[in-house]
Amino acid sequence: MAVTETAQPGAEAAKGEAAGDERLAYRGPIQRLLVRPEIGALIGAAAVWAMFWAVTIPFGTAAGTANYLDVSATLGIMSVAVALLMIGGEFDLSSGAMTGATGILVILLVKHTGELGGAGLSLWLALPLSFLIALGIGWFNGALVERTSLPSFIVTLGTFFMLKGGKLGFSKMIIDNVQVGRIDEGSGYTFWRKIFASEWTRNNHLFEGRDVLFAALFIGGALAVLLGVVEMTYSRRAEARSPGLALCTGGGVLGLAGFVGLLATDGVGSNVLFGAVTAVGFVLAAVGWGKWRYEDRDPESRSSGGYLPTGPVLYRVLTGLAAVGLATFFAFVLDSESQSTFIILITVQGLRAILFVSLALGGLVLVMVAAQQAGQSSARAEFGTKVIGAVALTFLAFVIRADSQSVKFRAELFTVLLWLALIMATSALLGLLYRRRTVAERRAEALGRSLAGAGITLTAVAVAVRLLFSTAEEVAATRAVISFRISILWFFVVAAVSTWVLLRTRFGSWIFAVGGNKDAARSVGVPAARTKTTLFMIVAAAAWLVGMLLAFRLNTLQAGTGDGLEFQYIIAAVVGGSLLTGGYGSAAGGAIGALIMAMSFQGIPFAGWNSNWKFLFLGVILLLAVIVNNYVRTKAEQSR
Amino acid sequence: MKIFRWLAVALAFGLVAAACGDSGSSSGDQAASTTEGSSGTTEQVDVTQGSDFTFYVITHGDAGVFWSVAQRGAEDAGRDLGVTVIYQGSNNDPEKQAQDIEAAIAAGADGIAVSLASPDAVGPAVKKAVDAGIPVITLNSGVNQFKELGAITHVGQTETVAGEGAGERFNALGAGTVLCARQEQSNVGLEERCEGLANTFNGTVISEFVGEDSDPTAQEAQISAILQENPDIDAVLGTGPNVAVRALGAGEAAGRDLIVGGFDISTEIIDFIESGDIAFTVDQQQYLQGYLPVVFLYLNKTNLNTVGGGKPVLTGPGFVTTENVGEVKALVEKGTR
Repeated sequence: MAVTETAQPGAEAAKGEAAGDERLAYRGPIQRLLVRPEIGALIGAAAVWAMFWAVTIPFGTAAGTANYLDVSATLGIMSVAVALLMIGGEFDLSSGAMTGATGILVILLVKHTGELGGAGLSLWLALPLSFLIALGIGWFNGALVERTSLPSFIVTLGTFFMLKGGKLGFSKMIIDNVQVGRIDEGSGYTFWRKIFASEWTRNNHLFEGRDVLFAALFIGGALAVLLGVVEMTYSRRAEARSPGLALCTGGGVLGLAGFVGLLATDGVGSNVLFGAVTAVGFVLAAVGWGKWRYEDRDPESRSSGGYLPTGPVLYRVLTGLAAVGLATFFAFVLDSESQSTFIILITVQGLRAILFVSLALGGLVLVMVAAQQAGQSSARAEFGTKVIGAVALTFLAFVIRADSQSVKFRAELFTVLLWLALIMATSALLGLLYRRRTVAERRAEALGRSLAGAGITLTAVAVAVRLLFSTAEEVAATRAVISFRISILWFFVVAAVSTWVLLRTRFGSWIFAVGGNKDAARSVGVPAARTKTTLFMIVAAAAWLVGMLLAFRLNTLQAGTGDGLEFQYIIAAVVGGSLLTGGYGSAAGGAIGALIMAMSFQGIPFAGWNSNWKFLFLGVILLLAVIVNNYVRTKAEQSR
Repeated sequence: MKIFRWLAVALAFGLVAAACGDSGSSSGDQAASTTEGSSGTTEQVDVTQGSDFTFYVITHGDAGVFWSVAQRGAEDAGRDLGVTVIYQGSNNDPEKQAQDIEAAIAAGADGIAVSLASPDAVGPAVKKAVDAGIPVITLNSGVNQFKELGAITHVGQTETVAGEGAGERFNALGAGTVLCARQEQSNVGLEERCEGLANTFNGTVISEFVGEDSDPTAQEAQISAILQENPDIDAVLGTGPNVAVRALGAGEAAGRDLIVGGFDISTEIIDFIESGDIAFTVDQQQYLQGYLPVVFLYLNKTNLNTVGGGKPVLTGPGFVTTENVGEVKALVEKGTR
């Protein structure tokens, strides 16, 4: 049930008319988002990114992004496929060795030399042939698991050893070397290299208006997402009230003027002034929009209870505020100018950023959870809690602003935090003034969805503009080559296609079904054996793709390439919200899990931290990501 | 015809279950087509012309480029002397290596050559062999332990000395700051290479672990990230051949023109030295580490000779540079360098 609900929120919401049954009650967009399996990973990814972005400058640049995306690509292609397989209830321990095996196989097939004389196949023949062989191995894994009913853990462990030994044995036998090289000897190499190993260098693409366009697109996108969420949250009034629209327009103009002022000036005093103008304008615009469009909340429910939360909720708010306060404390205590190494582990700036990000984020999450709980009893208490959160955020923002002399603790953080505070304050006001939707409405749902979709697209375009264009100043400042590898594109395509298959096709539902309960699935007509075998073949196909990406990029592969990486794929899938027991998870989550791992791994050298502690740090991050994931999911399920 | 044989090999590559028959016939072909007098890659060489000694060469080695050359050295020595040589690698598993040694003792070995990468774990088994009156020689690693364990001598390269040699090379090449990029996190030998480098190099040395060889793209990205964080780095010493090659790509990504040096030999790094992209690689001539112990054991058994006078026999560092890369390349292709 949970599966189909998360998979098709639209259909579920349409059925929401039949109120009374609590399973069919309307759930707001935020709540629907929170029960998605990949949401914890998404929050984790944002936190890891923010942390390294605050600690070191190259990490946030286009060159840095190309760097960690490159690492996440080969890992992510596999972890997406492995996530599908894990949702289907199986493991594939041969997946890591497969990546190297397919690459080596193709090189051996195209080579002319060697003691056997060499096959010297054209790449046009060798690639499809090796792909078929890869599918064959996947089929072999799947069929063996199905026929013997042995755990896939054991069966694929066997395949793993066979592949590992096969790679070595055949390499030694055929070319008498454990290093298999020169795929460029194959005919058709120039063409296939473009497909698997081309790079997109962006250093010469200058665009001086980049940052302005980025800001405009990003803010536009964020606003559209906000409007979409608001549209899905609040109950529409029968007819629009025009004074609201006037208020909204006025507020919008004021907010815009304030924002332009913020961009134009740089002193602390003028920043405070224009920041306040922006804030007032923004709040007025939001309230005006609500007045124009949404139904007022009952005066009775609005006036009941006090503004301050009580009992366990109050306790939670206080803990959250204490954490935020501690974050501020550390930001001040640790010397902002110091670039020295702190003890042995990391730099002072690194420690500062970690403490700041984790404490501030944890504290604010606590406040938000408290606000949600308070909202179940009293509208006023929810309002109060959210306002407290907004004030805490504003405070944090100004702490950062006062400190922006320090290169490594970014001034941009100020803007981001202020916007978050504004959004929180606005949502507090809207929640107090307007009635929440209790029943789904098809038109509002569709409108909200398309607004949010458009907003996300705009934001993505904004980020792409930011990454794909350089300014002359930036190019002069950095020597790094901004070069995106095509493997990143493959990664995005694989992640998108897998997500679509999992959520929108019949085969996707079969995957959830066989992973949840295979016998039950079979008895309702799901071809369980075929589904599982196909999943093994998908993993093998992904391994083949990664093998090609490696072979064309490196030209020479070691016999040991890929061995032992299978656990990284599984970990990435679990970080992304898939369960080890099957039946639950997400393909997009697998991609985000790979992103978290790649960012954590690459962020450490970028930040100049001691590499001896790399795995300790990686372990902590992964554990945290999984715990956050679990926490968010249980909370969201409880509040249904 | 050739194509069909290859297809069979390719299929067998995937379905190893069906591979036994194929590889059997293929190795027959291989023996027939051998032209260079090399023996192929059989695990056990059994050419008992002269004596019937059986020597065991038991290493911690994996199936990588490095150890396959050492294995070839041991096997060639066996053939040249007419003794049986049994080579066993344990893929960095000290427990398995210790078990292999005990099995060799039980099998009545006439001599054992052993690499001491993990002296604490493997030492007791070596001691047993010595106590049983079997001559033992350590190879590759174990220069500090061979004497107390009672081995005749040690055949290998002192990592620190090799690193010092690399440091002098970088001085001559005019480097300012060298990144010593390690491909294993907890290998004492690799750290000693970096320490040796720091001993003789006049500039700054930054020593970092940059990821395992099994994940080459991550390795390259890690080096690139370190380069971007440290603008001063103008040279990289890879403590293995693959990591040195990865440093080339990383330098490209970070927009740097680096002086790259490496350790040990692979066909790939030789190609890059030939093209001038990599300046040099430190060669510890591991063929000798396989060959010499067998010779020394043979001399000990037949003539009671003890080589070394209580000191290790050094096999390196030798350097492969643009000057001698041509000759070395031919030998690498033969599988003896």
